[in-house]
Amino acid sequence: MRSSELRHVVVAGGSVAAMTAAQTLRMEGFDGIITMLSEEERSPYTRVPLSKERLADIATDDDLQLATPSDVDLHLQLCMPATALDPVAQLVRTPAGDLSYDGLVIATGARARRLAPELDELVLRQLEDCHLLQERLSAARSLLVVGGGFLGMEVASTAAGLGLDVTVVDVVPPLDRLLGPLVAGRVRKAAQAQGVRLVVAESGIGLVGDRGGKRVRGAMTGDGRFFGGDVVLTAAGDVPNSSWLGRSGLSLSNGAVVVDPHGRVDAASFPNVVAVGDVAVTRLGDGRETRTATWTNAVEQAGTAVRSLLHGEEASPYRPADYFWTHQFGLDIKLVGSPGPSGQPTTSRIDPVSGGTLLVWQPAANRPAPTAVTINHPMRPAKLRRMFAATRTQIAG
Amino acid sequence: MKVVADRERCEGHGLCADAAPEIYDLDEDAIVVLRYSEEIPAELERKAEGGARVCPVAALRAL
Repeated sequence: MRSSELRHVVVAGGSVAAMTAAQTLRMEGFDGIITMLSEEERSPYTRVPLSKERLADIATDDDLQLATPSDVDLHLQLCMPATALDPVAQLVRTPAGDLSYDGLVIATGARARRLAPELDELVLRQLEDCHLLQERLSAARSLLVVGGGFLGMEVASTAAGLGLDVTVVDVVPPLDRLLGPLVAGRVRKAAQAQGVRLVVAESGIGLVGDRGGKRVRGAMTGDGRFFGGDVVLTAAGDVPNSSWLGRSGLSLSNGAVVVDPHGRVDAASFPNVVAVGDVAVTRLGDGRETRTATWTNAVEQAGTAVRSLLHGEEASPYRPADYFWTHQFGLDIKLVGSPGPSGQPTTSRIDPVSGGTLLVWQPAANRPAPTAVTINHPMRPAKLRRMFAATRTQIAG
Repeated sequence: MKVVADRERCEGHGLCADAAPEIYDLDEDAIVVLRYSEEIPAELERKAEGGARVCPVAALRAL
């Protein structure tokens, strides 16, 4: 399919992947109609500050709004979820009826994973979740966070800053997987210095509800230790929003839509359907599957997939995004390259002005790409990435 | 079209400068700097919007 044959593109979703897809369509010269179907009642906003500035009330709801396009042929429909897909008939079902398309971008994102659906579990994914958590925290003295990934630890940091007594429980040491033991250890130390209790329960963790009620009052570890909190937040990862694709015939893996390195769901049968962002998992040439639920990835993947929708195989394939960041406990951390570096870094430099740290790990047997981590350091991620691109070229040459 | 940057909120991720280097640059502290303080040339408006939209902390506005 070429751009000249596309007149109407439907973008299912309403977050940054969907917005970037729409924007890329225009930047690549598509001049037909774009219909964006968002299930949320708000126009697209960034979720990144929900665990930080918004939760701490430093930022307002309005501060989170993403720029709305000036484009008159972009129809953004709110409270309008895609509810089913027939890729053969090229139809997307919505509560307002069926919509036919020439091109489809699946960007329905993910939702928070819940550990105990029978309970009234608090999670943090959408702005409404943030409002509710904020309200509960304002009347609480203690917070228990179940899950020590970026989201859980960022909430712990914000809550500690608000003066709450905070405990985080997880089955593995918080942050190790993405930051590696050295940097994660430094963050954990900063968390503990601010009074946060970190509990690792290798035996597993289950939520505990009120007797006869639905309120979550704490968590029990597999070896019988109980941890309570006035407020309990589950921060245990995400689940792709793919239930609407159940009868579409598209291939799913752990709930995510499987796409090729060009973002296509099925290049032979449905070359006009791509999937991007948190809802998608990429099957690489060697059969490995990679899903990276980060902001950077959503942006890069949306660009790649839309270019393949318009230009086919000529568009360059996707490379997994290799940049992410977190801000917690006074530490501003940015990582470029392979996640979870282990062992001692090959380079460790302190910036004399800011006092920030730059750490570099050269590639190792289990880590094909180098890793650079900055902690409160002014080095631009873009500069780090360019440095690494040069290294890769040298290795290839 | 004009672009406005909230340098207080900028965290230096640099995605704007990746998406639209004609419009956005980063200073020595990796904080965003605008290349146009006045009207943006018409042919760059879409890029300016695109660069604004990828900011994860919504520190950029195209007006």
